[in-house]
Amino acid sequence: MPSIIQISNLTKKFGNIVAVDHLDLEVEDGEILGLLGPNGAGKTTTILMLATVIRPTEGTATVGGFDIRKNPEKVRELFGIVFQEPKMLWVSTPWDIVNWHAKVCGLSTEERKRRVKEVLESLDMWEHRRKNVHALSGGMRKRVELAKVLVQRPKIAIVDEPTAQIDVVGKHRVWNMLRRLRDEGSTLILATNELYEADELSDRVAIMHRGKLLVCDTPKTLKDSIVGGDIVEIQLENDASAKIVEELKNFKEVVNILQVKPCILRLYLNKVEEVVPKIMNTLVKKNVPVTSIHMSEPSLDDVFAHYTGLTIEEAQKSGE
Amino acid sequence: MKAIMHIVEHDLRNFFRYKWWLVGLISMNLADLFIMAIVYNYMVSSAVIAQYDTYFKFFAPGLTVTGLFASAFMIGREINMERRREVHHYMLSLPMTRMELAIGRVLSGGIRGMIYMSPLLLTCFVFLGFPTVWELLVILIVLFLMALGISGLSIAIAVSTASLEKFITARGLVYYTLFFCSSVFYPLSLIQQLGAEGKFPAPLVILAEVNPLSSASDMIRSFLLPDLPAFSYTSILNVVVFSAIFILSAAFAYIKILER
Ligand SMILES: Nc1ncnc2c1ncn2[C@@H]1O[C@H](COP(=O)(O)OP(=O)(O)OP(=O)(O)O)[C@@H](O)[C@H]1O
Ligand SMILES: [Mg+2]
Repeated sequence: MPSIIQISNLTKKFGNIVAVDHLDLEVEDGEILGLLGPNGAGKTTTILMLATVIRPTEGTATVGGFDIRKNPEKVRELFGIVFQEPKMLWVSTPWDIVNWHAKVCGLSTEERKRRVKEVLESLDMWEHRRKNVHALSGGMRKRVELAKVLVQRPKIAIVDEPTAQIDVVGKHRVWNMLRRLRDEGSTLILATNELYEADELSDRVAIMHRGKLLVCDTPKTLKDSIVGGDIVEIQLENDASAKIVEELKNFKEVVNILQVKPCILRLYLNKVEEVVPKIMNTLVKKNVPVTSIHMSEPSLDDVFAHYTGLTIEEAQKSGE
Repeated sequence: MKAIMHIVEHDLRNFFRYKWWLVGLISMNLADLFIMAIVYNYMVSSAVIAQYDTYFKFFAPGLTVTGLFASAFMIGREINMERRREVHHYMLSLPMTRMELAIGRVLSGGIRGMIYMSPLLLTCFVFLGFPTVWELLVILIVLFLMALGISGLSIAIAVSTASLEKFITARGLVYYTLFFCSSVFYPLSLIQQLGAEGKFPAPLVILAEVNPLSSASDMIRSFLLPDLPAFSYTSILNVVVFSAIFILSAAFAYIKILER
């Protein structure tokens, strides 16, 4: 598939902080690209540079054939952005915000009226359309932010944490709407730190950490690439000692162990059928009582942990 | 061009969200006018004011300009707020050029000033006398030009001050310098006389003379009041220069500073 965005060597420094560090990445036409990374990874900064809102320190990108530095006006015509923090004045109302956005993006009066109603209704915001933004809940504000782009149907939609603050039912509905947007021909960049969301929606996932791209591929390839294709999670009655972790690492089938919580060990291993009984025997012999044992397939969580060397919890902490 | 109209629409809608507050402000301005006129009429030496008949007739045009100033300045406050809440990221992501965005913002500030000022100007006409069509045209053009300059000034301050406190401090400073050293509250001849007697610093006398607020107030006075010397059109130059400088600096500041 041809690429619609080519990012090359893109870098942004804020003083001493390197928010985005020589990023190279291509986004294919018509795909949903998940941009995954812990807090502070540089997702939002990358997006703001693509959208020509902030200027790169180094490097550039072309969007639909236009260079973001040389032809920012052309680039902006292709984009629609759902910002992480809803960007709206608090005295405004949902209807005014969405309707004005659609007008600026060039929708005809008739189409605008129809689509604004349609989208606000499907986001459960129609009855709140005349309320002031300051009277809306956080999730409602995010819905208004989403509505702008869903009405616009841009060539390239950038959605930054689209379902943060949105309830479970709303989440699934938004995901469906984003999928439909792609099916109707838009390309989507989805920045998120929710692995499940990235897995659900993305055709490909790019994992960022500390401003750098670690890996980019389809969720399936990424999951398959994890050595130790089987995962066993063992919950112990008491916290696991370093000694016991060492002991388990001695099994040659065990590739890696993550201590997810003090009493939960996550083992990446091969030949699960043979090795699990041996492990259980060892634990019994060492007098380490087991509460539960759980086998699973690799998820993006594991891909993430594999590439960043962090559990999600650690990554979130280090980013703060 | 279309984009500029969209920005103006956006800003005017936000302006009218405060319509009751604006009505309140205008009423207060008018109340000020009548109260101050009575009080000052006794306080200000009649020799200074004689030319104008009463202090009320002198002050009404000054107050009109004051109202124009304050309301055209409001756009700066909004842009400052947008910047603090990072709403400007959204504005900068819209499909239009930076120039269109900047011009739209300056223009909105100017139009808002004119809307707010119109009841005050009408009050002047009712109590001081109506201008000819030509004079009315000149008044509106000059005041609009000034409103654009003020709007530009407020935007330039808004984007170069990070916090609201700094913005408000800067606004206060500008307000007081420009109003104190102008013919809004007392005639220019009085300031010049005090300057000659050494009671008023010379640089401030010059500021009062070139101050566009003086030019605008005196222009309205000379058009509406019968016994004043004919209006000198060259003083419009003060307004033109002021506006040109600040419209440009607003556009420049808006484009350069916001994009970092
Ligand atoms: N305007 C700014 N000034 C200074 N530093 C900034 C600015 N914006 C972002 N940063 C820094 O750049 C880094 C990347 O931030 P960014 O917002 O891009 O991360 P993110 O991946 O979007 O994180 P999150 O998941 O929390 O949204 C962080 O260390 C952040 O502190
Ligand atoms: Mg972010």
